[in-house]
Amino acid sequence: MFTVFTIVLYAVSAVLAIWSIIETIRNRPAGTLLLGATAVLLLLLIVQLVLSIATFGSTHGIDPLLYFGYVITAILVIALAGFWAFAELSRWGPGVLAAAGLTVIVMIERLDQIWQ
Amino acid sequence: MKKRNDDGGARAAAASAKKERAAKRNRSPFSAMHTGPGRALTAVYGVFALSATARAGYQVIREFDVAPVAYSLSVIAAVIYIVATICLVIGNRVSHRIAIGACLVEFVGVIIVGILSFTHPEDFAKPSVWSSFGSGYGYIPLILPLVGLWWLYLVGRRIRTN
Repeated sequence: MFTVFTIVLYAVSAVLAIWSIIETIRNRPAGTLLLGATAVLLLLLIVQLVLSIATFGSTHGIDPLLYFGYVITAILVIALAGFWAFAELSRWGPGVLAAAGLTVIVMIERLDQIWQ
Repeated sequence: MKKRNDDGGARAAAASAKKERAAKRNRSPFSAMHTGPGRALTAVYGVFALSATARAGYQVIREFDVAPVAYSLSVIAAVIYIVATICLVIGNRVSHRIAIGACLVEFVGVIIVGILSFTHPEDFAKPSVWSSFGSGYGYIPLILPLVGLWWLYLVGRRIRTN
């Protein structure tokens, strides 16, 4: 994967996870800004999907089922978590986002491993 | 969305837990299974259902012959996570029971598979979700059913006392 873009993905999901944990501790529901950050991460993951499709020919020996399985699962996790956080008006809305953010960090790490 | 209108504002929802609980009682009281902390729990179950299914599906399609025992167990684990997630989302009396059953099966499964992966490592050449007590997933598979059972117990007790 493109190193710079991978770092951006890591940074945004880390910010989302940490911010969500702070909001959970502060006992606040997910506000517009936090949901906006979730939308940004979702958009970046979709960009990653498009980039991967575009540059997949240049790689060798990567199983597309494995790689795109991870990308699409990550997109689904963030999209669903966003809806759930929007619907939940307690501190556990950000709680959902924190869980999703941490999951996506692990998934990006796996994606990077698979790509190499 | 419905709650948003009922409570009229984000801060009020956090402040008036009592009112919220009263509003919930008009629906199935077991819908408490997936609200508040339960929503975070349901989300984690959903993540596990999704990722375990994706992984088990991949393992079965691409390399089932490498470790049939481990991969069959991966499929079973995925199905149980899906059942638990759906039960938490439905949130009625029956699904509360089934969810308790799913959590128990899950916990017993993690323990048995965890022990087997140490006593019969040849059958677990490739990791499944539950091998080594879920160490590949930060031991979350070991803790999750306990948290789930505790939460389901709290929901059940709250309904009985009301």
